[in-house]
Amino acid sequence: MPKLKLLPTIADRLSKKIGILTIASIIGIGTVNAQDGEAIFKQSCGMCHSVGKGRVVGPDLKGVTTKRKEEWLHKFIKASQSFIKEGDPDAKAIYDEYQVIMPDQNLSQDEIKSILTFIANKSDEKPAENVEAPKAIPLTAALIMKGRKYFEGSEPFVNGGTACISCHNLDYDNIIPGGMLAKDLTKAHSRLGGDDGIKGILNAPPFPAMTSAYKNNPLTEEEITSLTGFLMLVDKDKVHRHAKDSSGLLFGGFIGLCIIITLIMIIWNNKKRKMVKQHIYDRQRDTI
Amino acid sequence: MDIRAQVAMVFHLDKCIGCHTCSIACKNIWTDRKGAEYMWWNNVETKPGTGYPTKWENQDIYKGGWVKDGNSISLKGTGKFKGLKNIFHNPHMPVLDDYYEPWTYKYQDLFTAPEGDDQPTARPVSLVTGEHVDVKSGPNWDDDMGGSKDYARQDVNFKDLTKAEQEAMFQLERMTFHYLPRICNHCLNPACVASCPSGALYKRGEDGVVLINQERCRAWRMCVTACPYKKSYYNWNTGKSEKCVLCYPRLESGQAPACFHSCVGRIRYLGVLLYDADKIQAVASCNEDELVDRQLDIYVNPFDPEVIYNAKKNGIADSTITAAQKSPVYKFVKEWKLALPLHPEFRTLPNLFYVPALLPGMASVADGVYNTTSKSLWGGIESNRLPMKYLASLFSAGNVNKVSDVLKRLMAVRLHRRGVTVGDLKKEEISEAMNEVSMNADTADAIFRLTTLATFDERFVIPPAHREESIEMLENTADFKGSTGFGFKERPARGL
Repeated sequence: MPKLKLLPTIADRLSKKIGILTIASIIGIGTVNAQDGEAIFKQSCGMCHSVGKGRVVGPDLKGVTTKRKEEWLHKFIKASQSFIKEGDPDAKAIYDEYQVIMPDQNLSQDEIKSILTFIANKSDEKPAENVEAPKAIPLTAALIMKGRKYFEGSEPFVNGGTACISCHNLDYDNIIPGGMLAKDLTKAHSRLGGDDGIKGILNAPPFPAMTSAYKNNPLTEEEITSLTGFLMLVDKDKVHRHAKDSSGLLFGGFIGLCIIITLIMIIWNNKKRKMVKQHIYDRQRDTI
Repeated sequence: MDIRAQVAMVFHLDKCIGCHTCSIACKNIWTDRKGAEYMWWNNVETKPGTGYPTKWENQDIYKGGWVKDGNSISLKGTGKFKGLKNIFHNPHMPVLDDYYEPWTYKYQDLFTAPEGDDQPTARPVSLVTGEHVDVKSGPNWDDDMGGSKDYARQDVNFKDLTKAEQEAMFQLERMTFHYLPRICNHCLNPACVASCPSGALYKRGEDGVVLINQERCRAWRMCVTACPYKKSYYNWNTGKSEKCVLCYPRLESGQAPACFHSCVGRIRYLGVLLYDADKIQAVASCNEDELVDRQLDIYVNPFDPEVIYNAKKNGIADSTITAAQKSPVYKFVKEWKLALPLHPEFRTLPNLFYVPALLPGMASVADGVYNTTSKSLWGGIESNRLPMKYLASLFSAGNVNKVSDVLKRLMAVRLHRRGVTVGDLKKEEISEAMNEVSMNADTADAIFRLTTLATFDERFVIPPAHREESIEMLENTADFKGSTGFGFKERPARGL
């Protein structure tokens, strides 16, 4: 942060961001331009939100700057969870509708402003007609199988990213139980807004742990496509599966417990069960 | 021939008055520590009775000792497979209540209680929990509850007696009891040593004392289960098992163990027996009816030149062989055949022998009239107040002849001495009794002397410990000599 380097002594005395920002604005250096808004939007928001292209994971943000007050938007972007908990009816309604937690964004006041400016500008643009969609890699069965290998880690990611299974679980054929550190991805495809949602997230992960995990080793287009395809397959197949496994575990566990207890009772059948003097005490107690 | 030395013991039950002085001497020296309060390395039981811990003789409950297993023997409750199976939960161990919950009294209450209408009392408190307890049992409840149906009639040794015989024993005019002091038997074939998964128990080479290495003990408590005499105890405070050490620090300095030394009735004898260790396995696994004879055979004659030669070859010191020749235990057990092991059927080959109590019937009932005079001075041993089967169950694995032989000998000595000191018996009666057990007057006088008039040195023939030999194994004796003697408990400020 150049600001800090310029004014270390003053910065030390003032508390954190507000102070720094105030000084920064007074001096007038380091302000964020509206042009940066597009870049920041792509990096932080684009995987879940679009402007004018419909709902992805979160709502379409077209016209949001006119719909909500600026203060409201700032609060929601910075800490949506606590904002919802504070009881704001609009925020709560959004959460109820989308059921996905929007991660807190570590963005400065100016950065948010630039994003909002970008959204406002973009909202005014007329949708370009007949825009050719970027050329997507066609999804094939082989690619889906590869997606499974990527997920399990038997096929490493080209850029050396960690396999999904280390943090995520997937309830699917013969896939060993995955990590419990992050969300279960069995239903991810439908939960996170289909192909676009998954692709968005994999392109630029919005979750802090995932962001840092793939910051230096991003996934390639091919990897993203195959993983998305695989997650779609898992999600689809899930409809045909019944929740037999969990009840089986309970039932099997109960039977196993009964068998173990029976075995213990047989093996240690001839143990000394009570103190030798018990009958003496019993008789003496009964005669009182 | 693999000759080894064993410090063995004889308790003369006719002389025991049940005063518990031995138990107190032992307790004061060894077991008045926290966690050891309930232990009585030496205890005195009242027989008939259930003993301490309750019914310890019943191995169906406690699974102690060895059992015959084909041509050999195996541990009844522990051992390799059974031990592994039960290593984390030893299911046959006595619980604290099978012994008793140790207690003391709050004596301070007698002095500090506020003034009131009633006398203050010292209530009993548990030495384990510190809470008030109602005393329900003690280390010798048989004595305190003498003859009751809860204790005397539950004696395990009645198993061979018929109901009628048992009833007869408890008729008022026949009712009797005797005492049975017990310490660790320091067996030749100790089940406790065999059972220990940590190898913490061992039998000392020089005198056969069985000890528990407190540093190696891992509190598996297999020895507690394995010892059929229940003479290995678990200290709940230190987490180690403990047992009678035969006061080995006293033995090594030439003193008799505390319980022997303090015995008021002078019932205890201690001395060396030489035995042939090659025979142990064969003897321990022989048939039950020959157990006593075979065990007594294992002890060899210390005057036999071949025995002496082999003993010396095994490194047994001359002084130990001399002690074995003077041993009162050798006389009682081998020469005079008056002493028998306790419960030989446990197959541990115990080294504590008992001269059984001679309790002749002194009265009879005819037509409801109680006669205190019998025809002769003492009734024959057939009218012994303790039935032969009962004594046989205690001392000879049920072999009645072995016990009655001993009692006949004791009776012969008694008749002989009556003839010598009072002279009111017919000569024929005495000589008949003497001839029956082929005993001459000299032997009878010797038995009489060792039984009644023996001094400390005659009762306790303790072999010198030969500490110099154990020191020599570790260091140069000259260095050792130069480094002992005057020293400092605290380092002086100057010098050194």
